[in-house]
Amino acid sequence: MEDKEFERLLKICRLSLTEKEKSAIKKEIGSILEYFDAIEKVKCDDLEPSYHPVKVAERLREDKVEACENPDALLKGTKTHRFYVIGPDV
Amino acid sequence: MGSISEFSKKKKDAKYYKTLTSDLAKLNSKLNFLTVVNDKISKGMPFTVKDNICVRGFEATAGSKMLNGYTPPFSATSVSRMEEKGFGFIGKATMDEFGFGSFGINTQVQAKNPFNEKYVAGGSSSGSAVATSLMKYHVAIAESTGGSISNPASFCGVVGFTPTYGLISRYGLIDYANSLDKIGIMARSADDVRETFDIVKGKDKYDTTCVDEKVTSSKRKKLVVIDQLMKGLDPQIESSFGKLLDKLEGKGYKIEHAKVDFIDKAIQAYYIISMAEASTNLAKYVGYKYGLQVPDFTKKYNEFFTTARENFGLEAKRRIVLGTFVRSASVKDKYYVKALKLRTALTNKLSELMKDGFIISPTMPIMAPKIEDAQKLSPLQNYAMDALTIPPNLSGFPHVSFPSDYVGGMPIGTQLTTSHFNDYALLDFVSEWEKSFEYKFKHNLGSI
Repeated sequence: MEDKEFERLLKICRLSLTEKEKSAIKKEIGSILEYFDAIEKVKCDDLEPSYHPVKVAERLREDKVEACENPDALLKGTKTHRFYVIGPDV
Repeated sequence: MGSISEFSKKKKDAKYYKTLTSDLAKLNSKLNFLTVVNDKISKGMPFTVKDNICVRGFEATAGSKMLNGYTPPFSATSVSRMEEKGFGFIGKATMDEFGFGSFGINTQVQAKNPFNEKYVAGGSSSGSAVATSLMKYHVAIAESTGGSISNPASFCGVVGFTPTYGLISRYGLIDYANSLDKIGIMARSADDVRETFDIVKGKDKYDTTCVDEKVTSSKRKKLVVIDQLMKGLDPQIESSFGKLLDKLEGKGYKIEHAKVDFIDKAIQAYYIISMAEASTNLAKYVGYKYGLQVPDFTKKYNEFFTTARENFGLEAKRRIVLGTFVRSASVKDKYYVKALKLRTALTNKLSELMKDGFIISPTMPIMAPKIEDAQKLSPLQNYAMDALTIPPNLSGFPHVSFPSDYVGGMPIGTQLTTSHFNDYALLDFVSEWEKSFEYKFKHNLGSI
């Protein structure tokens, strides 16, 4: 993979790597993708893709307002202002 | 008789639980299998929970620094159901970070094999397997994506059961890959697995992928060996498996060999799908909602996130990068969609083979390695370890690993797979096996 492509990927992933990590992953990524390329040879293009391994029925819940049991517990451990979770400036 | 029934008939008092938790803590300091011991347990048969499954009030890190300090305000459905039936939560079991590993070493807390501390416990449900191997009366609620129950069960000499995808609710599970994750059970007998399975399985309004199908027990007298899976096995594993097949033939099973030419590509398909799904699941760990908190909100938006996400381990970062790539617009048909189609092909082929037989194989291609040797393996060498566990996991078939031999004092597991929803048939097989094969354990904590 080219450096420019790799850096673009890191930006999309919101990942920062140490120089050691960058060197390790860049070194391996080519051989891993080459390993993945082997699936091209498998004849299965006429099949439907399986997004789940078993048939999962689409289930919707009733359109009924349900109060959250314990909203304070959900916000514990984060910085909050009233019922907002504080995050970085956009 | 399983130990759950036995335990219910025995007298247990406060001293029993105090001694058990104290003994557990002492062994834990040597074997590192639990992230926390619940010394408040006062009743019920003990059960441990893999650290990616939420227990109200107890830290859930999924083996990752990114979730340090995260204390869920709710329990997973599987946990609630166990507690409602009177089981006692005794500890969170360590694991590879988010499930990314086959040896239990990609983590803050590395478990050691109870048969020999120099060796790996397996992964990613390392702590769950160790706990099951150590305690006489205990079951573990664990999780498998590509083999994370079978693998450590095999290395630690216990029964590891992964049900059909969707039979046990994933509500309260910290996701690795949603189309692959399955909550399962580890125990010292098939009877204990069955009893626990009946408690935790079934419809759950909180998990829309949870299915409510009838579970069958359709017996099979044919055992199918897929020849391509038998290549490259450790000689000790190969020899042990050969002897096992002879034994089973003697018990009236018919051994049949089959060819599935593309089964060796299941590893690639699995890793493409799981990395793609993991890369989106891990996008939620950003340093201000759960777990690890970045205190500095003066940082710019992107800088804030990249600072927080420095705290993933190397394997997690590798999988995020690769997973993001394989689902990107320019290559998603080549990798992600192709992998999904390969899953269809594999599911169809294996279903055909299992119409009147079980698929049988060793659980792992190697004996448990030394920790120092496992640490030297490259990523591809690590991924190759899952060759035997990935096929049933990719296709959502129920499978069980059971101890079938001991070589050099270390256990060897065998894996049995059956059709979707025929889960009870696996447990019937293992129950029958246990009548003529005694499992060995180094410890029996909590014996009464």
